[in-house]
Amino acid sequence: MASVTTKPIDTTTIEVPGQRAPLVLGSPDYGTVTESVCRLAESKTPMSFYVALGISASLMGMLFGLIGYLIITGVGVWGNRSPVFWGWPIVNFVFWVGIGHAGTLISAILFLFRQNWRTGINRAAEAMTIFAVICAGVFPGIHIGRVWLAYWLFPIPNQMEMWPNFRSPLLWDVFAVSTYATVSLLFWYMGMIPDLATLRDRATGKIQQFAYGLFSLGWNGSSRHWHRYERAYLLLAALAAPLVLSVHTIVSFDFAVSQLPGWHTTIFPPYFVAGAVFSGFAMVLTLMIPARSICGIEDLLTDRHLENMTKVIIATGSMVGYAYAMEFFVAWYSGNRYETFAFINRAFGPYAWAYWIMVSCNVISPQLFWIKKIRTTPWMIFVVCIFVNIGMWFERFVITVTSLSRDFLPSSWGYFKPTIVDVLMLIGSFGLFLTLFLLFCKFLPMVAMAEVKSVMPRPGGQGDH
Amino acid sequence: MATTIEQSEKTKAEPELIGLLAEFDDPQALIDASMKVRDAGYRNWDTHTPFPLHGIDEAMGIKFTILPWIVAACGLTGGTIAVGMQYWMNAVDYPFMISGKPLFSLPACIPIIFELSVLLAAFGAFFGMLGLNQLPKLYNPLFKSDAFRRVTNDRFFISMDASDAKFSEIDSGEFLNSLNPISVEECWSDVSSPKLPRNLVLGLSLVGVIMLLPPALVAYKRSTTTNTPRIHIIPDMDFQPSLKAQNTTNLFPDGREIRPSIKGAIPRGQFKDDNIPFYYGLKELPEDRDVVGIALQDEKKADAKKADAKKPVEAKAADAKPAAGKPAVVDAAAEAAKKLDKLPWVTEFPMPVTEKMMARGKERFRIYCSVCHGLSGDGDGLVSLRAMELLQGTWVKPASYHTDNVRKQPVGRLFNTISNGVRKMPGYSAQIPPEDRWAIVLYLRALQKSRYTDANTLKDDEKSKLRDTK
Ligand code: HEC
Repeated sequence: MASVTTKPIDTTTIEVPGQRAPLVLGSPDYGTVTESVCRLAESKTPMSFYVALGISASLMGMLFGLIGYLIITGVGVWGNRSPVFWGWPIVNFVFWVGIGHAGTLISAILFLFRQNWRTGINRAAEAMTIFAVICAGVFPGIHIGRVWLAYWLFPIPNQMEMWPNFRSPLLWDVFAVSTYATVSLLFWYMGMIPDLATLRDRATGKIQQFAYGLFSLGWNGSSRHWHRYERAYLLLAALAAPLVLSVHTIVSFDFAVSQLPGWHTTIFPPYFVAGAVFSGFAMVLTLMIPARSICGIEDLLTDRHLENMTKVIIATGSMVGYAYAMEFFVAWYSGNRYETFAFINRAFGPYAWAYWIMVSCNVISPQLFWIKKIRTTPWMIFVVCIFVNIGMWFERFVITVTSLSRDFLPSSWGYFKPTIVDVLMLIGSFGLFLTLFLLFCKFLPMVAMAEVKSVMPRPGGQGDH
Repeated sequence: MATTIEQSEKTKAEPELIGLLAEFDDPQALIDASMKVRDAGYRNWDTHTPFPLHGIDEAMGIKFTILPWIVAACGLTGGTIAVGMQYWMNAVDYPFMISGKPLFSLPACIPIIFELSVLLAAFGAFFGMLGLNQLPKLYNPLFKSDAFRRVTNDRFFISMDASDAKFSEIDSGEFLNSLNPISVEECWSDVSSPKLPRNLVLGLSLVGVIMLLPPALVAYKRSTTTNTPRIHIIPDMDFQPSLKAQNTTNLFPDGREIRPSIKGAIPRGQFKDDNIPFYYGLKELPEDRDVVGIALQDEKKADAKKADAKKPVEAKAADAKPAAGKPAVVDAAAEAAKKLDKLPWVTEFPMPVTEKMMARGKERFRIYCSVCHGLSGDGDGLVSLRAMELLQGTWVKPASYHTDNVRKQPVGRLFNTISNGVRKMPGYSAQIPPEDRWAIVLYLRALQKSRYTDANTLKDDEKSKLRDTK
């Protein structure tokens, strides 16, 4: 087509100081970008997709079945017992919310910093955010026991003439997570409107034409529309950036505002945010590495993208490690013996095994990314990221359970044992997450085509903007 | 061009020309062309690109959008709503006192102020953008052009609206052609029927009717009455397997769901053994504590025997002597009375007797005892009179305080009667604290004394008092 490439094709994928690797590989023109992204939604679905969907959908079905069982029977089916009333459900909640941080962070903060490399990954990462927040939302929703009273969480006029307590961090959390979910959804959907229009214009089936036509809202690429659209996108990014930071800050208030030793610390907000970004990026990589080779979009999602993300992981992983060390230092330096006990108990008490899993996965494994070979070999990145995912789940487990199981009254101390329902629900939540992600890969534009096109070198050698 | 005209000739209504569409394959060409269109003085025209083309805004002369102001206004509204809501809900409408903290304090409100500001600002950005762009607008005449489908892929277009003052079919067409596009196309208005397909209309109205059913059912149920119990859609804790007072169960041999207190258990704050005369009316506790208050206890045992007799295994035995229950009660009661007589009751009040105590005793007696025993203790209280009038065979007339038997009883014994009851009279220890029970005993003694005192033994001023009051 119209592409006239004057320069020799640049296939570098590794950053060399002074020379930027291209964002899109090969000799792309606008048409091939459209082609390679839309092919996924348009071509015949491979059998492997149905197998994967079948497995994850059955896990999701198991989750819903267990939720039904829980509602009919009561929260006693979980391992939550005195004194640990925040067991796995809350651990899962914090874990999933944390994962839900990478998407909007990539979209918003990297956008504001004009990091163009984000264009290849932002769509999928945003989708992942939304699905993770959905998984997160399930757990506090069912944790309240009588789910039909969940509306009590919101300030809705009711027959009891009561209002929620706005000084409770748990209520702040309701507002933070629901605002985050809403804004992420808007951000994701808005970014997708032009790409849905692309799918609409290429669709051949009646149903596809109708569905994509409906959701693309009649987008026609008008420059006057683009002008306001870009402004709106920038504003949403500017709004979403502090929002991302606020969400896990407020989640950490759930813990930090209480007076339990091990929870009542001011380091929690920054430490939780760093941990969230850390786990989020690890999850993005865990999903993208297989997805990009299965979907054949390695040219759009290059090794450079992967490498950049591993650098974010080293940075946030080190912050998390620093926070672990700092917690111990403060526990000792404060001279507060309850605080000191809580931390010694964490590392050497009955949950020492969980603590050391957490430390080795979160502090040691990301440091492997200092080695260039590991940073640039996808399967090695994948392995390290799996460890980070495990470590971050254990971090939330350690924080929640060790502090609760040793409360102020030694006579009520206990050891938390999860039930089979706890374990299966965690597995089921992965089923929900993967089902949504697979459906997304199948039916929606996985890469932000319009954005990728806008950072590509213009035909005629005008260079990128 | 040609195809559009041919197609439209088949339809009855006259299609109108609504604009021209020029196609380009290079972004730079579009920018150059745009500048020329702008300079030519056209106003109702637009360019269409697959991605936001930088430099096009200046080329077209697009004014900066007011969107940021909309977003700012929405954000401020969100923040204001958040402050107002938290203040009104927690400090005014439903004051929430938590650990003595002030009802309203700004720092605690900040998280929600922040969240709501962001939420509303984001709505402002999203819906503001759509509103200003007049989207969603699912139908657009441009979509009829096949070439225009590539606008979301890799082609660039200029569309020129026929409503423009400068627009003329021939001149504008030539002008566009002079900009070196790949092609120029005419856009015609759609003349096909705007009516929805019949089946769709039918289907939608059916869905609409079905959706009305549940609210109609609710409205009907709310406005009518019924004899059947309400439907528990959400059972909450309405049905529980737990045992309730006043019900029977076969879990315990005595068949009662409410459990008597366990022998020897001392409820919190009720340790009494450090002051036996005060709490029991006894000089010392007997070996078998159950003897105190035995009158009722024994009756319970007799009741339990009756319950046992009802069980199928012992049914035959019960048949043999049908009236087995009654004599058992009487025997037990007589035995119990004998046992009570033998106990070491205190004969003196275990506290100094005062005028105040007497007044208190009178007051409490009138509240608790007079309904049955009458104001002067003759056993002619209102409850008793009424019961006699109803001729209830089971009613036992309350004892008169002025019989020899009661007069001879030591104060400790009377105290015990109030505490634990006697035969048909229930105990009042749950309602009346011990001090008050002693005060009542004091008043009871005064009532007794008033019957058997010779008026001549009174002092003169006391006699005059007697005359004054009726
Ligand atoms: C519900 C009605 C009722 C109330 C109220 C009541 N009594 Fe009695 N009382 C009776 C009956 C009936 C008897 C006779 C029981 C029997 O002979 O089986 C009785 C008997 C007595 C006796 C005689 C006990 C004996 O050994 O013969 C005394 C003393 C007595 N009551 C004091 C009181 C005092 C003091 C109060 C107030 C705290 C009181 N009663 C409240 C119904 C009542």
